[in-house]
Amino acid sequence: MSAIGALYSKLEMAQFGKANKLLGYLAAIFGIGLITLALAPFQTHINSTTVALCLLLVVLIVATAAGSRPALLASVLGVLSFNYFFLPPLYTLTIADPQNWIAFAAFFITAMIAGQLSSYARRRADEAQMQKKKIEALYEELKSAFAKASEAEALRQSEKLKTALLDAVTHDLRTPLTSIKVLATALLENESEHQNLELDLQSKKEFLETIVKETNRLNDFIEGLVELAQIEAGAFGLRLGWEEIPEIIEAALSRAERMLKGRRIKINLEENLPLVRVDSKALAEVIYTLLDNAAKYSPAEAPIEISVKQSQEGIVEIAVADHGPGVPKEFREKIFDKFFRIEKSESKAKGMGLGLAIAKGIIEAHGGKIWVAERAEGSGARFVFLIPIGDE
Amino acid sequence: MNEVKKILIVDDEAQITWALRRTLSAHHYEVRTAADGLSALETFNDFQPDLVITDLSMPEVSGLELCRRLRKFTQVPIIVLSVKGEEKTKVEALDAGADDYITKPFGMDELLARVRAGLRRSNQVKKQEETVLEIGDFHIDLATYQVFVRGEEVHLTPKEFELLVFMVRNYGRVLTHRTLLGAVWGGSYTEQTEYLRVFLRHLRKKIEPDPSKPVYILTEPWVGYRFNPFR
Repeated sequence: MSAIGALYSKLEMAQFGKANKLLGYLAAIFGIGLITLALAPFQTHINSTTVALCLLLVVLIVATAAGSRPALLASVLGVLSFNYFFLPPLYTLTIADPQNWIAFAAFFITAMIAGQLSSYARRRADEAQMQKKKIEALYEELKSAFAKASEAEALRQSEKLKTALLDAVTHDLRTPLTSIKVLATALLENESEHQNLELDLQSKKEFLETIVKETNRLNDFIEGLVELAQIEAGAFGLRLGWEEIPEIIEAALSRAERMLKGRRIKINLEENLPLVRVDSKALAEVIYTLLDNAAKYSPAEAPIEISVKQSQEGIVEIAVADHGPGVPKEFREKIFDKFFRIEKSESKAKGMGLGLAIAKGIIEAHGGKIWVAERAEGSGARFVFLIPIGDE
Repeated sequence: MNEVKKILIVDDEAQITWALRRTLSAHHYEVRTAADGLSALETFNDFQPDLVITDLSMPEVSGLELCRRLRKFTQVPIIVLSVKGEEKTKVEALDAGADDYITKPFGMDELLARVRAGLRRSNQVKKQEETVLEIGDFHIDLATYQVFVRGEEVHLTPKEFELLVFMVRNYGRVLTHRTLLGAVWGGSYTEQTEYLRVFLRHLRKKIEPDPSKPVYILTEPWVGYRFNPFR
């Protein structure tokens, strides 16, 4: 591409040069002719210095505009015109007065030198221009090469990410499937004729209950995936309405009722909270996820705190805090990535690694922000999110 | 003979260890579980199981590493729980000494069949007598180099004989290409799977009732072979 480009620009330059040169010669002829025609009627009234300077001007202009050869032509024509039309005896190429010989020679030399010098200056300027163009082209080429390289890198990264996500998804699908299949085949064998297995009623019930539980887990996971995919595709249709925050919290609490059984929940609501324009169901889900996490990762006897206040004009801040081990500093951002789970968490309850990613998606769709607050190590986790009150 | 067999289950997914413990216990096995390779090694020492079932991807010491470490001091049968797409790790685990694998999600019947095969083999190994191998349809006299399949004598070349003896001794186990090549031809041939295929084709022609539908030398796609002495 670059080789062809260079060739092309050279060709263009050459053509442009040819046309330009022809124009230069024409300018030399016309320029000198024009000055001669303009000044010839007054040849007896103006002195030869004025004429020489005017002609010299033409030589200079031609030299700067068209280069040394047209300038040479202009000089020669200028000399001839000067001699023929303006130096006595007029209309001959002879010169009578020796003083005029000197003027004639001085004009000739000045015209030549001035022409060469100015065309040299012009050439240098052209070269500098070319150099600049070359550098610019090189720069563009480099820039596009860099862009391509980083594009490839990004693609590779996203491929890697995709594989990692797929691994996580298949693992999360296969684990419940495996326990379902193991338990179901055991139950089936128990029912078969030549059984060598005897399950008591209690075991059978437990097996069936676990199968149902695992099926629900699978279903939750799939629903979570779908929801996340919708949020990521920007297709998550928010049903906005003016809502009361306490009502939303109430909805989240009642959904989490089973999980929060026997736990103390402290709720701190600022007075005169404004209505907010939000999707109440989605927001309740965010609060539910945070409550779910708090219940999973903190001791049963410790309270969970919900607080709501208007942090600045037009923005409401909602926080859910627990007294568990907290989120280690290095995971405070990653925890919102999908499928991310802190590996060696001691808690037996394992999440899907989707809840917080969905919560983040929902909050961001509302134009808000969610994060884990800085807190001293060991004093529990505090999740905070901001929601703009919204306008009509 | 009817002593209770002990099985150690290693998996970091609590639901899976729970389900396996409950179902294997119902089949009158004594079961203990571990959530990672490191605690599995500890449990192994005071439990002394007859068989180990382990997942491959686990925190701390992985299933692969667990196989390696166990093989340093015990020949106890190891069944690996793998998933589709983990082929490479699965083969590595078999090379590292695992006996068999089963792909998640699996049924209890499948797992039990493998558990029984593993236990039977380890029994056999204990009372193996070195001059005659007699298993299923095979009768091999190691002293006279005579091989009888279904009662009929079969003539084998020395390498075919060695290959068959190795497979009979390890019947029921999944034998990777690398294991077979290393055992019969030595370490420097472990990449020559084409070589192995030729020998197995000849061997199948001599021992299989129908070489196009083998019943003794079974192919485990992408992994290796499994020898089954029974029809």
